[in-house]
Amino acid sequence: MLPPRSYMTEYAIDIVNVTKRYADHTAVRDLTLRVPKGSVYGLLGPNGAGKTTTIRMILNIIAPDSGKIHIFGRPSNDPKITERLGYLPEERGLYRKMQVRRVLKFLAELKGVRGKDADRRIDEWLVRLSLKTPEKDWGLSKIDELSRGMQQKVQFIGTLLHDPDLVILDEPFSGLDPINSQALKDTVVELKKRGKTVIFSTHLMDNAERLCDSVCIIARGEKVLDGTVTSVKEEHGQRNIALALEGDGISGVAAILRDHSLVKRADDSNRFFEIEMAPGADPQALLRRIVESGAAVQRFEMIQPSLHQIFLQKVGATGVEEGMTGHG
Amino acid sequence: MAKLWAIIKREYLERVRSKWFLIATFFGPIFFSAIIIVPAWLASTSKATTDVYNTTILDATGTGFGHRLAVNIAVDTTIPGRMPVVKVVAPSELTQAESLATREVMRKEKSGYLVVDQQTIAGESARYAGSNATSIVDMTQIKSAIRQTILASRLQNVGLDDAKLKQITFIPLDFSTERITERGRAGSGMASVLFGFAIGFLLYLSIVIYGQTIMSGVLEEKTTRVAEVVMSSVPTDTLLAGKVLGVGAVGLTQQILWIATTYVLLKLRAPIMAKLGAPTMNFSLPDITLGAGVLFLLFFLLGFIFYSSLYAAVGSSVNSESEARQAASPLMIMIVSTAVFIQPVLLNPTGSTARVLSLIPISSPIIMPIRMAVTGVPTLEMAASLAFLAIGCVAALWLASRIYRVGLLMYGKRPTMKEMARWVSYAR
Repeated sequence: MLPPRSYMTEYAIDIVNVTKRYADHTAVRDLTLRVPKGSVYGLLGPNGAGKTTTIRMILNIIAPDSGKIHIFGRPSNDPKITERLGYLPEERGLYRKMQVRRVLKFLAELKGVRGKDADRRIDEWLVRLSLKTPEKDWGLSKIDELSRGMQQKVQFIGTLLHDPDLVILDEPFSGLDPINSQALKDTVVELKKRGKTVIFSTHLMDNAERLCDSVCIIARGEKVLDGTVTSVKEEHGQRNIALALEGDGISGVAAILRDHSLVKRADDSNRFFEIEMAPGADPQALLRRIVESGAAVQRFEMIQPSLHQIFLQKVGATGVEEGMTGHG
Repeated sequence: MAKLWAIIKREYLERVRSKWFLIATFFGPIFFSAIIIVPAWLASTSKATTDVYNTTILDATGTGFGHRLAVNIAVDTTIPGRMPVVKVVAPSELTQAESLATREVMRKEKSGYLVVDQQTIAGESARYAGSNATSIVDMTQIKSAIRQTILASRLQNVGLDDAKLKQITFIPLDFSTERITERGRAGSGMASVLFGFAIGFLLYLSIVIYGQTIMSGVLEEKTTRVAEVVMSSVPTDTLLAGKVLGVGAVGLTQQILWIATTYVLLKLRAPIMAKLGAPTMNFSLPDITLGAGVLFLLFFLLGFIFYSSLYAAVGSSVNSESEARQAASPLMIMIVSTAVFIQPVLLNPTGSTARVLSLIPISSPIIMPIRMAVTGVPTLEMAASLAFLAIGCVAALWLASRIYRVGLLMYGKRPTMKEMARWVSYAR
């Protein structure tokens, strides 16, 4: 049974009650998660949490023991779907003795891009990532003649060459130098702008926090929490605001801070306040009221716990289970 | 289908483009024609070496026997320097003459010396000493020349004239051998055995080389994680099939090139050997029909599929080249133990050992083509051999694909046999 139509178009990835067991442990247990179309989604978790297993099931490299996975509303084992997916595995490498251009052509052919079309795209990408300059065409070199950074670029081209609608990156930042790391972030942002969906696994909360619209934290094969980054922070952190005022007008503000529909509690340090918002209250409404009162605002900042803190709080140091594959 | 083609194309082109392939394809025929031509050439030179002419005959008969013997040894007296030197000595001086002749041999001026005396004329004994005393061909020629000369002397004593004598004793026998099979005469026996050996060796070599090629290819894809990228685009069975077919096609290309150039080289062997200064020989190639050629390639292909799929499974289950070598040893044992039987099968191609080995898929891809090369194989046996081999291939592919799809994703320690058995039972 296919899910209802509205549901089909809403999610890029729809995982329902998926379990994957190996001989001596359960890699993923009863996982349900939905990745909205056009979003940047982070799959967070310690090593051995089940990230790679989840990604492999999304890619139909392995099949779940139970549960259902739909990609763009179609079962994940639909052969047509694979051509809309781009995948960058965690540890990277390519055929060492093969010419760059031929490797890329091969990867393109596997995704249904052939002939002249493939050649044109390869050229565009090589130029774009400066692997092809008027002086030197690295496309004609063998993979093992390239520096590590250049090899990463080639692999990246291979992932995106067929212009996939869903890009899956397994630990994309591991082993990247700062320049390629920035290039990757830029590309993720650009993919999102073009309406593509990007899902990546990472244990680097910093990158996730800045790049992701939504995240899912998994540990020991189970989902700990998921949702948009904002909602995760709202649900799992104190909603505090740091307020600093200039000059007079403090008396007007004091009245606002006593409004319990907005403010649960306020720490008054003369011209600096740390305010805990009332449940469901909108910080923007509070800001408007303060500005309307005529006070000169020097600083108004939501102080939210970082994903890192939430992660530590929810998963703790014991979240690591020995994985069968040593990663994921 | 297009994706399977992409995989086959990559496997094929990347390997055919490699230097190794070019070198092996170029030197292969030279090597194979060498192993066919050199023994045949050695066999053809079973006519005595020039050493027999470079000898001294110490004639103590006092009857001119030595001179007649020298003519008989030389065979063709018109070629200068191709006749033994004759020294007529008195029986009492023989010891001294012998020690002189010995020194000549030691100084390498002569190959040896022959002593003939009254006992020789009586047909009782003759003595030869020389550096070529162990050469069977040389000794045979000298011995038959002595017999011929004794016979001629006796006939002369009975009163036969010289012309009659020549007519009776001249027997330039050229002894050639030829083998007969169920299909009729099949070229020289020697050539046929050599051909069978060459085929067995070629198959053995190809299966080992291409099996290991597949194994390290799979291992490379696993360690570089390219396998994961490919598996996210095509089913693992397609990847495995593409590899086996692609590398198989490389092997087939090489075999065909090898066979074709070896054939041409052998056809052109007369001018080549004339250039090398070797005598032309009467040496007919085994008669290979098109059907036999097709069967030969079929056995190669099936044998290749059987072993290479197992090699692929091994490659997928390990993490490094050194682990791979260890893990592949059972396969190596299977192939080498088959190779051990190549010689016994060549010697007795219709025996029960040969017949049993050509039914077992482990050995039939090597043994059956050898039997085909040296003897006629009944159609029923041929059909049974092919059928069992085909079943073996299906079983090997089934087993390999199950190990392959799990093994490719398993990193870390090498699996035990028990773990691999469990992989086979995994759904996916």
